[in-house]
Amino acid sequence: MNCEVKTIVDVTVLSLSGRLDASNSKEFEDQVVKLIDSGQKAFVANLTGLDYISSAGLRVFLLLIKKLGDKGYIHLCCLQEQVKEVFDISGFTSIFQIFDDEDSAVEA
Amino acid sequence: MESDPFIRILAVDDEPDMEELIRQQFRRKIRKQEMEFVFAQNGVEALLRLSEYEDIDLILSDINMPEMDGLTLLNELSELKRPSLKTIMVSAYGDMDNIRTAMNRGAFDFVMKPINFEDLEITINKTLEQIVQIRNARKEHDQLASIQYDLNVAREIQTAILPKDFPAFPDKSEFDLYAAMNAAKSVGGDFYDFFMIDDDKLGLAIADVSGKGIPAALFMAVSRTMLKANALGDLTPNECLQRTNDNLCLENVNTMFVTVFYAILNIRTGELSFANAGHNAPYILRNSGEVQQMKSKGELVLGAMEGTNYSLSVETLNPGESFYLYTDGVSEAMNRDFDLYGEDRLEKLLKTSYADPPRDLIMKVVKDVNDFVDDAEQSDDITALAVKYLGA
Repeated sequence: MNCEVKTIVDVTVLSLSGRLDASNSKEFEDQVVKLIDSGQKAFVANLTGLDYISSAGLRVFLLLIKKLGDKGYIHLCCLQEQVKEVFDISGFTSIFQIFDDEDSAVEA
Repeated sequence: MESDPFIRILAVDDEPDMEELIRQQFRRKIRKQEMEFVFAQNGVEALLRLSEYEDIDLILSDINMPEMDGLTLLNELSELKRPSLKTIMVSAYGDMDNIRTAMNRGAFDFVMKPINFEDLEITINKTLEQIVQIRNARKEHDQLASIQYDLNVAREIQTAILPKDFPAFPDKSEFDLYAAMNAAKSVGGDFYDFFMIDDDKLGLAIADVSGKGIPAALFMAVSRTMLKANALGDLTPNECLQRTNDNLCLENVNTMFVTVFYAILNIRTGELSFANAGHNAPYILRNSGEVQQMKSKGELVLGAMEGTNYSLSVETLNPGESFYLYTDGVSEAMNRDFDLYGEDRLEKLLKTSYADPPRDLIMKVVKDVNDFVDDAEQSDDITALAVKYLGA
């Protein structure tokens, strides 16, 4: 799984592509935790290229949002249909703000 | 050798000057404690030295010696089964026959007399590289074996917890029940449970823990126990999930979560009440042949956020109708072409078998999934629980 990082003003945009599962979730987690520890608080995860997410992947998102707590947020955008379904069924849709495109997610 | 400050070399030669010569040529390395030498006069003494010093890394041995010569020593060494112990032979000039024999008997390299010590040092270093590689491979192998052991323990924990005696309630004629869990090689997360809450109410649960291995197996054990304890307190399904969620959030060290579907079947009336925390929606198989999915309301998995609320749903099972619960190991089973088994395939199968007794139904699904996956490796637990209501 690939994760490109770019910054728009004070928002860090993470663009994920490929599959996020148990084999690489720790790597992704470490990457974002490092950014949070260095002071980043506002995140947008652009999931246009994310084809698949497993429960291990969901767990990382949960972990990150808990780590940020009240001080920060992670917005999601551009979820593929099957990924949106996973977020819907697991109820994760209720704990993240989800947008259709990157610009809306960044502006929020 | 990362941890060893020096290498220990056993030099085997009957020539009386050899020890003096070696200590002289390698005096700098010896003084800097990068090398240490142990000496033997023949093969017999060499074997004694090996048992005295456990950390000999490399052997430098002459071929022609009394008591036991170098070639015989090589045979003895191969019996010791120490693949990282390498031998460099020292042969007489031009003695190709003995050199060939030595190589065939497992010598790593050779040098010829009179010894060129620069060349010998290069040969020693080359041999050491090989030794380090073998030791690293050994370490990695041991680590992998240890991980494999842990995963097996996880699977055993998981399997031991699940009720597996069927028929589960032989004295109850109001329903027929069967369940199965086929664990994937390295997973420890799915569980099912069923229990009588009182004479009229049957509790049914199916769940999927996020993660694999021992942490998942342990979290699964904790979740199952808490769920059952709360359920036996005669709470409604949604209250039960609410309380279990709060329990789990308090104890949750690892940000693990579990999807749970929990239902109560009233065996007098056929009333099925249920609540769903992030789990894939189960099916009711109606007498009409309709396969009715209990669509998920998208309520949150257990263990994620304290204070989560869950809603209650109610359906009624008529005598003859079945309730089929499963985990996504079924719908997400993959074959070699990376196609998913999918819910459509499952629904199709359920449609053709809706009147089957639970055991047959589940066996059919498991077989169908296995046939579909074929020789690809099973990627997730395949778990299912089916109950056929027979009427009061």
